[in-house]
Amino acid sequence: MKELSELIFSEEVRYTEDHEWVTTSGATLKVGISDYAQDQLGDIVFVEMPEAGATFAKGDQFGTLESVKAVSELYLPIGGEIVAVNEALGDAPELINQDSYSNWIVEIKPADSSELDQLLTADAYRTLLKG
Amino acid sequence: MDNPKKTVLHGWHVEQGANMASFGNYDMPLWYKTGAKAEHLAVIQAAGIFDTSHMAVVAVRGQGARELLQLCLCKDLRTCVGKEKTPLVAGRCVYGVFLDDDGTVIDDAILYQLQAESFMVVVNAGMGGVVAGHLQKHASSPDVVINDLTDKVGKMDIQGPLAAAILQKVLVDPGGVFHQLPYFSFKGGFGTFATDCPQTLVDGTPVLVSRTGYTGEFGFELFVAIDRLLPLWLMLLEAGRESGLLACGLAARDSLRAGAVLPLSHQDIGAWPFLHNPWQFALAWNDGRTGFTKDFIGAAALLKTSWRKYTLAFAGFDPRKINAGEGNWVTNEAGEPIGTILTCTTDMAIGRVDGVIVSVADNKDFPAKGLCCGFVLLDRNCAPGERVVLTDGKRKIAVEIRADIRPNRTARRPMDKMLA
Repeated sequence: MKELSELIFSEEVRYTEDHEWVTTSGATLKVGISDYAQDQLGDIVFVEMPEAGATFAKGDQFGTLESVKAVSELYLPIGGEIVAVNEALGDAPELINQDSYSNWIVEIKPADSSELDQLLTADAYRTLLKG
Repeated sequence: MDNPKKTVLHGWHVEQGANMASFGNYDMPLWYKTGAKAEHLAVIQAAGIFDTSHMAVVAVRGQGARELLQLCLCKDLRTCVGKEKTPLVAGRCVYGVFLDDDGTVIDDAILYQLQAESFMVVVNAGMGGVVAGHLQKHASSPDVVINDLTDKVGKMDIQGPLAAAILQKVLVDPGGVFHQLPYFSFKGGFGTFATDCPQTLVDGTPVLVSRTGYTGEFGFELFVAIDRLLPLWLMLLEAGRESGLLACGLAARDSLRAGAVLPLSHQDIGAWPFLHNPWQFALAWNDGRTGFTKDFIGAAALLKTSWRKYTLAFAGFDPRKINAGEGNWVTNEAGEPIGTILTCTTDMAIGRVDGVIVSVADNKDFPAKGLCCGFVLLDRNCAPGERVVLTDGKRKIAVEIRADIRPNRTARRPMDKMLA
């Protein structure tokens, strides 16, 4: 298990309390899971993703991650329309374990970018993990 | 977790950066930095070692010990060894369950006969006191001495096709240990669990080598005095360093055993009658399945019960799972609820080719993506091949009822083939 000091955080994203992240600049935003989440899940063996074109509200479940042991639900940090899913995860779900920040899960066109303001900065997320 | 117990290997697990979790009130490794998938595959293709020293060990000794165990264990000790159904003798062990008067499961166990009236009973974590109390309750002879020796016993497992090749490097007399050592037999002894044929490790430690395990693969359970467990663990890690041996956590143990159709006590078997499940070989049924070949605690309740739920093994068509437990259930293909999920994990060594389950054991280059598998408890019987649906109310995963899951398991392979 990674110690807090070993965990990777990104200043480029905002986090949810459920350990998802979302990028913050551009017309479309990428969504993935934090280094802490992949470390806790262990080997990811399957990623269930939505169809491109589907629309969700902030906080909606948009997919699942399967580790060897269990299933975890994925919740959207921000509402909007899914414009792309990361097809590479179909054949290689373990990419998320290798680098959970460059291996995004979905790309979303936000309905309301101001929802980003309700999310956690890297520092705030680190504080949350300290407990 | 309130004051979890720690095994003597706990420091090593933490030092290695293992993901730890509570199991049976012990703080145990779920997986190490290698990850559960690599650990699972190591046991199929090379070897893995497991800290199983959280398991409990009860000694049953003295005049009347065998009679007591014959009364309490649901296997008939007169006819429980091999295809010939010969009696349990020193050097052999048997799998069975201890039942309450109502036919429900207290725990499953492996019973080792050390000498004529000296037995070792291995049960699950935290169950030593419970099982010892159950045996004490039914002991009629004051000469039978029952002791929960859990905290004095060091136990670890080495499992996988290369287990013997690695283990032989740390034994003084590997030829003597492996000669005529069929599945469910053992050699040697340790501490107060003495036998007539002692065996030692190269550092002089007395050891009991049992050809058993909980993975479905070839291998051994090893017993030493508790203060000798860490040295044995480190010796085996070194001996297996160039063979692909990995330390394995509970996640791999769970996925391996589910693929091998082995039950987890208090999850797949438990506080309901021990009937209509894949493990009826653990009961002393007569040939016609009309009754038992002996009387034992719980037998009358099993024969009289109106219990009509069926524990069945299943395998899916991809790795997707529905978590076992409350809030999730099983339906038939028409969507009608028919039961609950007991175990649901992913066996990472298997996949399907034209619907048929194939293992990486047959072909190391087979790109297995894993299949979900486990056990369901249904209110009706289903034949192998029938499909049922696991659901959490949102996701629906169709799975196939199976008589067996992971093909070409190695547990029963002849020793000479595994050492060749």
